[in-house]
Amino acid sequence: MTMPAPIANLMAAGAPARLMAARRSTRPLLQILALPLSVLAIWEIAGRAGLLSEAILPWPSLALEGWYTWAFGPTGIGLNAYSGTWLSNVIHSAQRVFLGYALAICVGVPLGTLIGWNQTVARVIDPTLQGLRPVPITAWLPFSIALFGVHDFGAISLIALGSFYPIVVNSTHGARDVNKNLIRATLMLGGTRRQLFFRVVFPSALPAICTGLRVGIGVAWTVVIVAEMVAVKSGLGYVLWDAYYVGRMDIVIADMVSIGLLGFLSDRVIIMIEGQILGWKKLQQV
Amino acid sequence: MPDYAIQIGKVEKVYGGKLPVHALTGIDLTIVNGEFVAMLGPSGCGKSTLLNLIAGFEEPSAGEIRVFDQIVVAPGPDRAVVFQEPALLPWLTVWDNIVFGPKLRHLAIGQYQDLALEYLVTVGLEGFERHLPDQLSGGMKQRVGIARALLARPRVLLMDEPFGALDAQTRLQMQQLLLDVWERQRRTVMFITHDIDEAILLADVVYIMTARPGQLRSRIEINLPRPRNLDLLMEDDFNQIRREIFDQLRAEVLSLPKSPIRLK
Repeated sequence: MTMPAPIANLMAAGAPARLMAARRSTRPLLQILALPLSVLAIWEIAGRAGLLSEAILPWPSLALEGWYTWAFGPTGIGLNAYSGTWLSNVIHSAQRVFLGYALAICVGVPLGTLIGWNQTVARVIDPTLQGLRPVPITAWLPFSIALFGVHDFGAISLIALGSFYPIVVNSTHGARDVNKNLIRATLMLGGTRRQLFFRVVFPSALPAICTGLRVGIGVAWTVVIVAEMVAVKSGLGYVLWDAYYVGRMDIVIADMVSIGLLGFLSDRVIIMIEGQILGWKKLQQV
Repeated sequence: MPDYAIQIGKVEKVYGGKLPVHALTGIDLTIVNGEFVAMLGPSGCGKSTLLNLIAGFEEPSAGEIRVFDQIVVAPGPDRAVVFQEPALLPWLTVWDNIVFGPKLRHLAIGQYQDLALEYLVTVGLEGFERHLPDQLSGGMKQRVGIARALLARPRVLLMDEPFGALDAQTRLQMQQLLLDVWERQRRTVMFITHDIDEAILLADVVYIMTARPGQLRSRIEINLPRPRNLDLLMEDDFNQIRREIFDQLRAEVLSLPKSPIRLK
């Protein structure tokens, strides 16, 4: 095996350490990108070679082109109903997710921690909650349309309900799991039940609550798409279904990627916030 | 009438359920104010249960417990506890853990700041105020727990095998620390342990407990002079007491076949 001349020179010059470091940092990136890039490349090549039908599976460059017009094209032109509407649809969907998710947090976190902490609350609420939970969120669709009509609140209430479940269940679990000695220590120092809840039970439950929040945001993006397909006339879910109907599969693909990106971004935001609040938890995991 | 810190009369503790466990039976015990008492016994003999009853974490099934003539009904800062696991709040800094009690009781900062600082120095944690518990070693965490308990200004200090989870060297260090603090304050202490040396080194009185159901088997006064230090561990007087206690404990452990675990 012969060594390429530049590398051999570097090693001779006594810089192997730096070279190794450079290699180490590029290799993982290559490993990460290898699979998606090859899939995209094969897909593109197959498309251009005429192996794919544009009406069913447009290849990446076509989807990108469709996306570009959707995002930056002029609005109000009859020829392309989607032109320039990407941002407003993203905002519609994100707004619904945000409102529904915020509602779920406002109800789910306090309720969940109370169920975990207080036996009476648990007995009164938990069985009902566990009884309703197996009903899939999609099964609530007809009911929500009947109740709210084709209106924003239908979608928002579904998102709230969908992300509420994981949030409430994880919060309950977190509040139930509090180290008994922390409770005893607080009581012997003179803490009241109320202080126990706010200063010990709630902070102890935070890691579990954060887990619930992460699962919840995923559910929220799933539900917004389903709800928009059926219950409202705007947003990424609506466009997804509408584009399918008119045969714009390039928009369908662009839409799917947009949803994925938004879900990914909102998850990162939650992880960032979690990292800020739960610094102490990370210490325990080392 | 002597000044009693703790009076325990005919206390029983039975844990119910399908297989009831008789943890304590016929416990009669008085502890004089300012006494350092060690409870020594095999594991599972109910030492910790007794401490939990005095702390107010659990209720006796029969009998009553008085601390300074008040019947114990709930936990409170007059009976501060040092736990085996330090039981610190992991999201609070060392300082915030130490002053957690006064803050819960809404005391003005001026009422506890100086004393808290003093205890922080006493337990050798100055410079670590802003660290989180999980950045500390086991011994350091336990020292935070001790400072926190002392700051409650308890009339009785309850210690539940506080050094049981520490390595041998750290344990010696902590025992010396506790001796120094106690000999200055002479507060009533009830100290649970299964370590004979530790009991003799620290205590004025050692009680030996029987295996389950826990009873008091004997009371041994430790008349070794104070102030004490770790050198005591090497002395003849110490070893004589040690032998006496060891023989009693061995008899106790050998009587265990009542329990499901057999000892060879």
